Amino acid sequence: MKLKEVNRTAIQSWSPAEHHPIYLATGTSAQQLDASFSTNASLEFFKLDLADPSLDMKSCGSFSSPHRYHKLVWGPFGIDAQGHPSGVLIAGGENGNVILYDPAKIIAGESDVVIAESDKHTGPVRALDVNPFQTNLVASGGNESEIYIWDMNNFGSPMTPGPKTQPLEDISCVAWNRQVQHILASASPSGRASVWDLRKNDLIIKVSDHSNRMHCSGLAWNPEVATQLVLASEDDRMPVIQMWDLRFATSPLKIFENHTRGVLAIAWSLADPELLLSCGKDSKILCWNPNTAEVLYELPTSSQWCFDIQWCPRNPAVLSAAGFDGHIDIYSIMGGTNQAQSQRHISNSFGNMDPFGTGQTLPPLQLPQASATPATINPLKKPPKWIRRPVGATFAFGGKLVSLENSKPNPQQPQQPTSHIVHISQVVTETAFLKRSDQLQATLSAGSFVDFCQEKIDAAENEFEKIVWSFLKANFDSDIRSRFLELLGYNKEELALKNTVDAATDEAEEGGDQVLNEEPVEEEQEKEIEEGEEKKEEEEKEEEEKKDEEEEKKEEEEEEEEEEEEIPLEEVHTCTFTFTEMISTTNTYVDGLITQALLTGDFEGAVELCLHDNRMADSIILAIAGGAELLEKTQKKYFTKTHSKITKLISAVVMKDWHDILKTCELQNWREALAAVMTYAQPEEFSSLCDLLGDRLEASADTQLQAQACLCYICAGNVEKLVSCWTRAQSGHSPLSLQDLVEKVMVMQRAVEQTQRSGPAAIGVLLAEKMSQYANLLASQGSLSTAITYLPDNTNQVRHRLRCYTIVLNIHSKPFSHYTKTTPLQYSSAAAPPPPPPAEPSSPPHPPGFLSQYTQPILSQPAPPVYPGQPPISHCLSSSPPSHPTFFPTSSSSFPIPPSSAASFQHGGPGSPGSYMPLPPPSGVSGTQLDSDPELIPASQKTGLHGSDHPIFFSVGPQNGWNDPPALSRAPKKKQVPEHYTPPAPITSPIMAPLGADPQALPISSGTPQAMNQAPHGVQAPYSGMHQQQLSPPAMNPAMPKTSVEGAPGAPTGDVIQPLQSIPAEKIMKKPIPDEHLVLKTTFEGLIQKCLAVATDPQTKRKLDDANKRLEALYDKLREQTLSPAIVGGLHNIARTIESRSYTEGLNIHTHIVSSSNFSETSAFMPVLKVVLTQANKLGV
Amino acid sequence: NYLFACLAQYFTVTEFQHDAQMDYYGTRLATCSSDRTVKIFDVRNGGQILVADLRGHEGPVWQVAWAHPMFGNILASCSYDRKVIVWKEENGAWDKMYEYTGHESSVNSVCWGPYDFGLILACGSSDGAISLLTFTGDQQWDVKKISNAHTIGCNAVSWAPAVVPGSLIDQPTGQKPNYVKRFVSGGCDNLVKLWKEEEGQWKEDQKLEAHSDWVRDVGWAPSIGLPTSTIASCSQDGRVFIWTCDDPAGNTWSAKLLHKFNDVVWHVSWSITGNILAVSGGDNKVTLWKESMDGQWACISDVSKGQGAVSTITDTQQNEQ
Repeated sequence: MKLKEVNRTAIQSWSPAEHHPIYLATGTSAQQLDASFSTNASLEFFKLDLADPSLDMKSCGSFSSPHRYHKLVWGPFGIDAQGHPSGVLIAGGENGNVILYDPAKIIAGESDVVIAESDKHTGPVRALDVNPFQTNLVASGGNESEIYIWDMNNFGSPMTPGPKTQPLEDISCVAWNRQVQHILASASPSGRASVWDLRKNDLIIKVSDHSNRMHCSGLAWNPEVATQLVLASEDDRMPVIQMWDLRFATSPLKIFENHTRGVLAIAWSLADPELLLSCGKDSKILCWNPNTAEVLYELPTSSQWCFDIQWCPRNPAVLSAAGFDGHIDIYSIMGGTNQAQSQRHISNSFGNMDPFGTGQTLPPLQLPQASATPATINPLKKPPKWIRRPVGATFAFGGKLVSLENSKPNPQQPQQPTSHIVHISQVVTETAFLKRSDQLQATLSAGSFVDFCQEKIDAAENEFEKIVWSFLKANFDSDIRSRFLELLGYNKEELALKNTVDAATDEAEEGGDQVLNEEPVEEEQEKEIEEGEEKKEEEEKEEEEKKDEEEEKKEEEEEEEEEEEEIPLEEVHTCTFTFTEMISTTNTYVDGLITQALLTGDFEGAVELCLHDNRMADSIILAIAGGAELLEKTQKKYFTKTHSKITKLISAVVMKDWHDILKTCELQNWREALAAVMTYAQPEEFSSLCDLLGDRLEASADTQLQAQACLCYICAGNVEKLVSCWTRAQSGHSPLSLQDLVEKVMVMQRAVEQTQRSGPAAIGVLLAEKMSQYANLLASQGSLSTAITYLPDNTNQVRHRLRCYTIVLNIHSKPFSHYTKTTPLQYSSAAAPPPPPPAEPSSPPHPPGFLSQYTQPILSQPAPPVYPGQPPISHCLSSSPPSHPTFFPTSSSSFPIPPSSAASFQHGGPGSPGSYMPLPPPSGVSGTQLDSDPELIPASQKTGLHGSDHPIFFSVGPQNGWNDPPALSRAPKKKQVPEHYTPPAPITSPIMAPLGADPQALPISSGTPQAMNQAPHGVQAPYSGMHQQQLSPPAMNPAMPKTSVEGAPGAPTGDVIQPLQSIPAEKIMKKPIPDEHLVLKTTFEGLIQKCLAVATDPQTKRKLDDANKRLEALYDKLREQTLSPAIVGGLHNIARTIESRSYTEGLNIHTHIVSSSNFSETSAFMPVLKVVLTQANKLGV
Repeated sequence: NYLFACLAQYFTVTEFQHDAQMDYYGTRLATCSSDRTVKIFDVRNGGQILVADLRGHEGPVWQVAWAHPMFGNILASCSYDRKVIVWKEENGAWDKMYEYTGHESSVNSVCWGPYDFGLILACGSSDGAISLLTFTGDQQWDVKKISNAHTIGCNAVSWAPAVVPGSLIDQPTGQKPNYVKRFVSGGCDNLVKLWKEEEGQWKEDQKLEAHSDWVRDVGWAPSIGLPTSTIASCSQDGRVFIWTCDDPAGNTWSAKLLHKFNDVVWHVSWSITGNILAVSGGDNKVTLWKESMDGQWACISDVSKGQGAVSTITDTQQNEQ
């Protein structure tokens, strides 16, 4: 595809690869004239702006020069230093001058652009090249066989590569070797190329095919193979490109023939050594594969000749071609079409091709070819190296990382296969999080919440955390409210003790001194609280009917009221005592009125009068007599009138109006308020009252108080609010803070479920979100099965995916989900405790309500019949996906999809439900597994599970890779049939057995880490790993054959799968011997063993032992695959002769190999092999 | 603090591997290679069973992409042969569902859009164009082409997650939310470009300039519920940039240099949760990056090659299967 064009008849050079942006420098060519016949010369710079879709290139700077140019090269010299930020442009002029320009200055429009200049050459300088290793060195070639090496650091005194070649001739090209920095080649139109060694300062070889037809127009070294170069011939009689290898410098290695007329220029791509461009007088631009001499691509070009062609060093797909038609065209080798229109025909139609009025018309210019129809242009036959992505790591679901590894092919031995590997890794970034998640899981399944809370209290980092956990722990106490009270600082026993003492004192004081302070009153009050509390508890315990309850409460109230009367009485006493004298007259008067009223039975009036007269006690006593209604009224009036400190409390106690007190109390006294609620509130309003206080606290400006709201919510059992409050207090979204939250939430939920203090724990939006986050995080760390237990039903992406995943992997997670759809069914079990879990010794003690009743969808799948009582937790953690007996029925169409998950799929989109069907079993696989599985597990192992309390701690999963002892990596052998193989090692852990439908799912026994199996286990990975280390440092299965170390002599490697474990990177073992060559090892070793068996004299034995060891060199070479096919083939032949015991023939082959191969390649092992063969022959084994 | 438990199975094959992708559930692995084949392995349970060997391309296959499973088991592959093939599994057998031959040069990247948009595939090609193939049902595919999206070639495409502009959480299901289809592409013009569909037409939305050489890969981070959009781009110049946009209109993007590597960076991949970026460099090294609280990106580990080698499959084995 043509990208750009420049209307210049010019020679060109791209900016060096290091330079950004990309510029193209053009210099007026010394050999062509354009229509103006102008001999003015200039250097000009154009920026390659690919973001601009037009064909124009913007000129970025120019410099009028007195010289015209034969050659331009742009080197990176000084590009890093301050000196020349854009490198140095070296120009070869027509008068023998070599000029160094500073492109940065030209682009900046400065004047002193010439760095240095020399006219040491006697004729035009046609050849220039910058040394790729030492960019300060430039080679130049002129006529008369002149070649100079210029050091830009010391430009004045060039060197010569050696004595001038004879006969003297023009130098048309110079080129530095791309591999060896002191080797330079030059070529001349006569067809000869010379190779110079600058260290020797001499010509080392001349290359010429003696045809005398080669007229070298181009010279290029192979970028990869140091000894190869190509020469292009511009002779029409021999329009070829020759590839020479200096190791065989008598005739060309290859000849590329396709051009029909002379080749004018060549360019070898540095980005892909399999791409070589050539342009010729036949107007073609071809791209060759120099290794195969095949034409890979023909550029759709104009019919004009191109005299210069260059790859862009920075953008490997871009090349420029300078044509005699006065244009430099920029192409992409990658094909495609440009929408932009060429400007050429426009300039053409304006007729400015004759600006000087010379009357000469130009030959018609080529329009952008309509013939270049995109459909007919095939792209490069071979994909260029630069678009082949060699690596790539992509994340997959469950924190897995799939990575590619393509080791670089060795150019010296391209026939050797290189390794191309796909890895699947588990990325665990939150180990601390996972560990704690495991602990939580263990707690949830074991129900050991009190211990868990205690641990948290002990480990709490701050006081608040401690308190929160204490409150949570209190939830599991038999006497929750008093525990809460205690935590709030009100210990019943202590108070009771104090009360009795005080009460005694009070009584004594009461008798003598009438002046009372408020303290005893308060004490009394509290004492009373005690009583009330006890009563209430009794009520609760007895679970009396509501009616009874009310009655009792009434009694209680009355009791309270009665006692309460004393309080105002005392107060009034105090008052009256003080003011007796002053109001005595009035007193008498009022007394009269009251008496009147009483006598008339007007209680209300009497009370009114008493109140008016501030006779509170009287009024209340009267009110009691006057009936409940009146009493209430009186109470109210009393409270509005009295304003002592504790009135509010008394008022609340009497009126049972806790809402009011909680609404109005001083927030600093939240503790007292909460304690009061704790004591008095009715069970049905308790939660809402706690919430109320919590809300107020949360709304307060004091951050400390805000945090305390959490405690209120804990008391209230309000999970959702706890979440929101906690979330607000915790900034940041770190996994551990999420874990903190989830721990609290889960513990609290269990508590709530256990005690049924509140209604069904419906999942609020916020909690659902948090749980989703949590599950997401778990999933991302590979703990898929744990993750699903936390997912709320609010369908979202993760859930959907995990569900599907679950179905695919057959994890029976649904019954164990911490969240299931809240249905009456589920929580109706609250009133009556749910039936105890099956009386299996193995069943983890589920707290009541743990097992959701909402299990129907999954239960429609029959449980595996063999293990009816298997603990659900292990079920959940270690199901073995593909082979579960119930999971893949023979017909995949009968595959049961849990209705809930199916439903969640359906509103997804157009796909039919059937298409959600998880992968049908690969044919033949599940069936065989079905049959073979149960038998693989000894019966004892099956039962073994039930004795294990914490099964997960014994599982050594492959997921422990990060702290496992290193094991081997080795290719399983040909005959391996993974899904059928019986684990050789005994099953050391019973955990997997019951559901170990697939022996491969037993990480211990098989030792084969398995990606999918890992997922369900991921959750306990770090934890179990740690246990493992404590319990038994050599965590490796002792039964695992350690002899599987690669290369151990005589190790049987054919049919046995070596259990393998994941290993840290640095412990990479030797590569395996390729399967096809393994026979060599077994044969040779077998032969040595046979010889050893019959050999009698110790010297021979020693020899053979030695040989056995030394042959390791051979095996290493086989592993590295560095032997040439000829040798390997020969070795196989030898092995065959050994099989047939024809050792003499083997020795003959041996001789042949040795004589025909490189000594250094074979010297390490061939002599040894000879010894072995000779001995075998001698011993006649 | 960070660990990489490398389970790792691996597959040795003699041909150059260009891509390997796990399906939605992580149970199957699709690989594609220079030998023109696409292979699907069942990797459940640590197994490595070749379930399909898809042949149809006539050149090296560059990339594969799994469609969302709600559409069935569908895999797209793109190749140097200028073709995009959509493969579908029906009754256990894989077959060509669609073959697209509308590109004039190597198709370098394929990426399925979020399932909310239906079955839609973006393909980036060396001819500079990006094609959008939408399944319209009944074996019909609608093709839209953005010509000259990246001069000399588009190297990578990646879809934006389906989020309604300005909304934080998933839309309630049922009603069809007003999604804006967007994706990002990177190419040989050193540009990262954002594209947006407006009234059925694809338009260039943003042009992000920071790289000084070919953009080799782009990755739009999955939505994690935040209003920020995040894109990672990596380049031949060794640089990896993280582009973020907080503005709901999606107009102001700022670039942050993640790191300048010494070699070409070929590939970037976000974790499903969107908080870790895996960067694959030319030196065969994979590094993982995570953003700290203060917004700085830190390398949390190198996943060196050969880690956790567990078992291998050889070519011969595959053939047996």
